[in-house]
Amino acid sequence: MSHSPSAALPVGHYAYDDVDRTFLKQRVAQFKDQVERRLSGALTEEEFKPLRLMNGLYLQLHAYMLRVAIPYGVLDAKQMRVLAHIARTYDRDYGHFTTRQNIQFNWIRLEDTPEILNVLADTDMHAIQTSGNCIRNVTADQFAGAAADEVLDPRVYAEILRQWSTLHPEFTFLPRKFKIAISGSQQDRVAARFHDIGLIAREGENGRPVFEVFVGGGLGRTPIIGVRLRDDLPEEDLIAYLEAVLRVYNAHGRRDNIYKARIKILVQALGTEEFLNQVNAEFAAMDRARYRLPEATVEAIRARFGAPDFAPVGNAAEKLAAQRKADRAFDAWVHTNTHPHKQPGYCSVTVSCKPAGGIPGDVTSAQMDLLADLAERYSFGELRITHLQNVVLGHLRQDALYDVWQALEKNGLGEANVGFITDIVACPGLDYCALANARSIPIAQKLSSRFANADLQREIGPLRLNISGCINACGHHHAGHIGILGVDKRGEEAFQITLGGSAGDGDASIGQILGSAMSEDETVDAIARIIDTYLSRRTAGERFIETCRRLGTAPFKDAAYATA
Amino acid sequence: MDRRNSRRDAEGTSVITANRLLDGRIVWLAADGQWATLIEDAKLYPNSAVEEALKACNARAQEEALVGIYGVQVTQTASGPLPVTSRERIRAAGPSVHPDFTPDWHAPHPAPYA
Ligand code: HEM
Ligand code: SF4
Repeated sequence: MSHSPSAALPVGHYAYDDVDRTFLKQRVAQFKDQVERRLSGALTEEEFKPLRLMNGLYLQLHAYMLRVAIPYGVLDAKQMRVLAHIARTYDRDYGHFTTRQNIQFNWIRLEDTPEILNVLADTDMHAIQTSGNCIRNVTADQFAGAAADEVLDPRVYAEILRQWSTLHPEFTFLPRKFKIAISGSQQDRVAARFHDIGLIAREGENGRPVFEVFVGGGLGRTPIIGVRLRDDLPEEDLIAYLEAVLRVYNAHGRRDNIYKARIKILVQALGTEEFLNQVNAEFAAMDRARYRLPEATVEAIRARFGAPDFAPVGNAAEKLAAQRKADRAFDAWVHTNTHPHKQPGYCSVTVSCKPAGGIPGDVTSAQMDLLADLAERYSFGELRITHLQNVVLGHLRQDALYDVWQALEKNGLGEANVGFITDIVACPGLDYCALANARSIPIAQKLSSRFANADLQREIGPLRLNISGCINACGHHHAGHIGILGVDKRGEEAFQITLGGSAGDGDASIGQILGSAMSEDETVDAIARIIDTYLSRRTAGERFIETCRRLGTAPFKDAAYATA
Repeated sequence: MDRRNSRRDAEGTSVITANRLLDGRIVWLAADGQWATLIEDAKLYPNSAVEEALKACNARAQEEALVGIYGVQVTQTASGPLPVTSRERIRAAGPSVHPDFTPDWHAPHPAPYA
């Protein structure tokens, strides 16, 4: 294939060219050689560990774990089938979708890894930059290119940032890892204020977008809400401005202390004002022409994303309305699991990977194949992984929804719970993770079973429940309306509850710790009492998070620690 | 990693564990000097002798293709050694959320890439 992409572009994802492919294959060959040298003893474990981490391979509790990058969360049906193939052939028939829109395989053998990376590279996938102190996989909102409220397609800009950051000589050795997220609509669907840099697009003048820029947010050990540096950054200055931010970080970030190395600590240490001054000084002094992002470049990248060719939908909307009327369960699913599309007669569907009592984000190879089939048949062959560990089919005709729902239902993917209390986000925790204090999955399963009743969930309404097995906060517990954090009490597992966190739209907040840690079963009961308190004290139409903010933590704390 | 797992009382008993370099799987040092996949086969050391034994294991780590060797305190039960921490109990038994994935679970032979 030549440098120019073919006429029929894959919908929704960037068309790689020979240069990209050659690079991937070289990286695989290089890693194969490193693995051989490790096995022969030519490389020690200390020498080899950073090399395997650069290729997304971690040693976990029971085996190696491979983290495969899914740039801006978008993949095509063929790639999904390759992931299914890897799960079936090299793992134990499943994979785990993560809050970083990646997939993790938990039972990988070092010996097989070069071959797996080769198989991934054959469909333009890899595990590069999922680890290490570099700019990580840029995340984009899951309704990119589809949402009715979209200002721009964030994947185009995520791709521009990927190209800018990949192998950027200055930024491969940052003080610490660096995460960027971009939302294509004014509604923040990416938790922009909890990223090192978060971008939110807005309509500018002359039909070109402008960006709100948030810097220094993060979860982990020290949760901090990002500060707004700009609210009107023109598109053409996007790269220059981020370059300026990174230069300030690169120059002053703490390399001496891993816990203080993230940009969030620098922003706090310097103060927003001083940090902003330094960024502005850097920005003013730099060669802006060199970093200018011309409209033509944006359009050239956009042209390499295939766009769906929407067919006329006829009476799709009426057909859907009739089907909803006839089937109450289907109606409930449409209500919770669909999102308005910019194209009349279409919608986006969020497929819940959170079955009642199940493991959040785990998907079997058969389910992956089904998702690939559905994407191919109904959604232009394209899929997205969300940061809430679900899967999105972006562009479905409204009159196809019933068939899609039935197929999902039959295969354990039909749960009508998106945004509800059982749509739990959980990290792998102590069942897999070498860093964990406590298991995240069993408590998630107990809560999911406890609240499985569909009417009860609907009654409770929108609620984010997030679970992390340790302070690294991979399950984003601080950002959950209810958060659960696993702690270690003299070698036994225990859990702290946080309340009132939110990653949401314009109202980001960090959850407050309610009190001392409890056992798994005590925690499940405490959460049930917190929910009862909410249901009895809420005003009409008040969401859980709003009641928390109005009442403060006290009544919930009383409920949580009340002994029956 | 050793930080949390080297919680050893002066009086207690420990076993020695590692991960295999090739496939990452957990193994336990057995009385015959081989590395076993089941903790039941692990050799018991009085805690006073663990550090010495670890030193010897570490010296052979490359040759035996092992990484992350450390000692795990256990209590002795009818069914064999039981680690004192939940972390090590999970390592010994496999992930609690997949009861079928016991340490002696065997992978089906990898199919060639179609
Ligand atoms: C099982 C292997 C994993 C390991 C060893 C691991 C390790 C870590 C560590 C050490 C950090 C903290 C880094 C820092 O604060 O600078 C971290 C952060 C993070 N991890 Fe993981 N993680 C794992 C799995 C996951 C999974 C499954 C997810 C998604 C569900 C995830 C998502 C995240 C996110 C989003 C953060 C960033 C939190 C922040 O904003 O600071 N990780 N991880
Ligand atoms: S939060 Fe802790 S336990 Fe959970 S995956 Fe991250 S490092 Fe592991």
